[in-house]
Amino acid sequence: MAGTLEVRDLSKHYRRDDGGSVHALDRVSLSVEEGEFVSVIGPSGCGKSTLFSIIGGLVGDYEGEVRVDGRTIRGTHRDIGMVFQEESTFPWRTTLENVAFPLEIAGVSRAEREAMALRFIRLVGLEGFQDRYPAELSGGMKQRTAIARALAFSPKIMLMDEPFGALDEQTRMLLGDKILQIWRELKQTTLLITHNITEAVQLSDRVVVMSFRPGRIKEIIDIDLPRPRSSESISTERFGRYVGAIWQLLREEASLGMIESENV
Amino acid sequence: MAEIGLARSAAAGTPLVGPEARIQIATVLGVWGMWEALARSGLFYRDIVPSSLKVFAALYAHLAEAEFYHHLWTTTYEVLTGFTIGSLAGIGLGILFGVRRFLGRVMDGYILALAPAPKVVFLPILMVVFGIGVGSKIAMAAMSAFFPVVLSTVAGMLLINPTFIKVGRSFNAGPWQMVSKVYLPSLVLPVITGLRLGLGVAIIGTLIAEIKLSNAGLGFLAIQYYEMFRIPEMYAVIIVIFALAMGANALMTKVNDRLGRRGMPNASDISGAA
Repeated sequence: MAGTLEVRDLSKHYRRDDGGSVHALDRVSLSVEEGEFVSVIGPSGCGKSTLFSIIGGLVGDYEGEVRVDGRTIRGTHRDIGMVFQEESTFPWRTTLENVAFPLEIAGVSRAEREAMALRFIRLVGLEGFQDRYPAELSGGMKQRTAIARALAFSPKIMLMDEPFGALDEQTRMLLGDKILQIWRELKQTTLLITHNITEAVQLSDRVVVMSFRPGRIKEIIDIDLPRPRSSESISTERFGRYVGAIWQLLREEASLGMIESENV
Repeated sequence: MAEIGLARSAAAGTPLVGPEARIQIATVLGVWGMWEALARSGLFYRDIVPSSLKVFAALYAHLAEAEFYHHLWTTTYEVLTGFTIGSLAGIGLGILFGVRRFLGRVMDGYILALAPAPKVVFLPILMVVFGIGVGSKIAMAAMSAFFPVVLSTVAGMLLINPTFIKVGRSFNAGPWQMVSKVYLPSLVLPVITGLRLGLGVAIIGTLIAEIKLSNAGLGFLAIQYYEMFRIPEMYAVIIVIFALAMGANALMTKVNDRLGRRGMPNASDISGAA
């Protein structure tokens, strides 16, 4: 199936409205192996969402390269499925129609795409809600719909930008379990952008810690915890040590971000 | 207690006729009464305020006449054709200006300058170009409908949730798929608002054009009766025009309720979906 993702020397400058420029990313290099689960963690303003948009092909005009299975890509790519931070389910479509959306775009016949969509709806645990509109679903259910929709695209690589950012802590933990379960089943390469340390340690094989602007990779930490994991793993002592180590790395960067946001 | 029982529906205990409707009915009856009083008072020159009985008699006579339906159909045809052309152009260009923001900003100036101008000033040009028949009326209706539709479509485009656009792009949707599956569904409410306004001004534009210079249509009929001083007949035509406009508005309300509510749950639909 393959699905290796490689980012080489990625740099990005944003032009500001006042004519100045923001150095969002500075020579970021990273590779995610086939079937690997990697999280990128950093303070607000570390450019992690920019990294997400560049890999997903939604932002252009950058230096460096994004490669999928060794081939350089520009723009959106068939092998990458994206899950967004904000609410992204279409309010005029039911769960089923939302999940079937990428298949509809790809020209799959109605019967076929509905059968496929139902399979992913079941996988994310939304069975019975396929005919509901997003307005009738909770925030967690909407994000699961968005995950099922990205999965329906059958991507080799799942790219997720703080998919649980807007959810409460308990829901976030339970959805983390769901993500792990899906990942065990489908084995897609996964890159998760997050600012939640627990989530990063709970889910990942490796955690990439980023620095405050300009975003650089500060350190990459291997999470050597036994799998299968679940939200219960967080009570172990080793888990706590990983969380502590990552916080040590993030602390300084996060306070830089805080100082800047207070000065503005 | 018996009277209260009559005025209220037994089941829900809500008044059969709400206070608003009561006032509305009372107002209509009051105006009608004043009209009749004026008509019979002899204060006005004969038939400027004709008795409503004469107006209804004239209306009845018209409804029985085939010739009248020719005029009714002409106006309906002009309004609907012009409205369709104008609103399709408005939606299409509105989406284009929304997607191509540079072009949109360039065009904004022209549209904002032309939108509030009374379209009747273009009537002589339209008469010259399209003749005095249905062509110039359709052009007038199209031109009138275009502006509110294009303005509300552009406004709607600027308000589209940018995440929806990103979702469409992330799944490699083509330009036409973006329009049909992302933009248009997002634009339903603003476009319907524009269409509603557009249909109203299309009717106005058509009737003004008919009144100015034409050989068929309700506006033509009304002004012809005016010139012949057949005032009850003129009022009868005006009543038909009112009914037409109200019917058009009711239709748009129905469309609005039908399309605008998609995905918006009714209170009764929500069960505990936590």
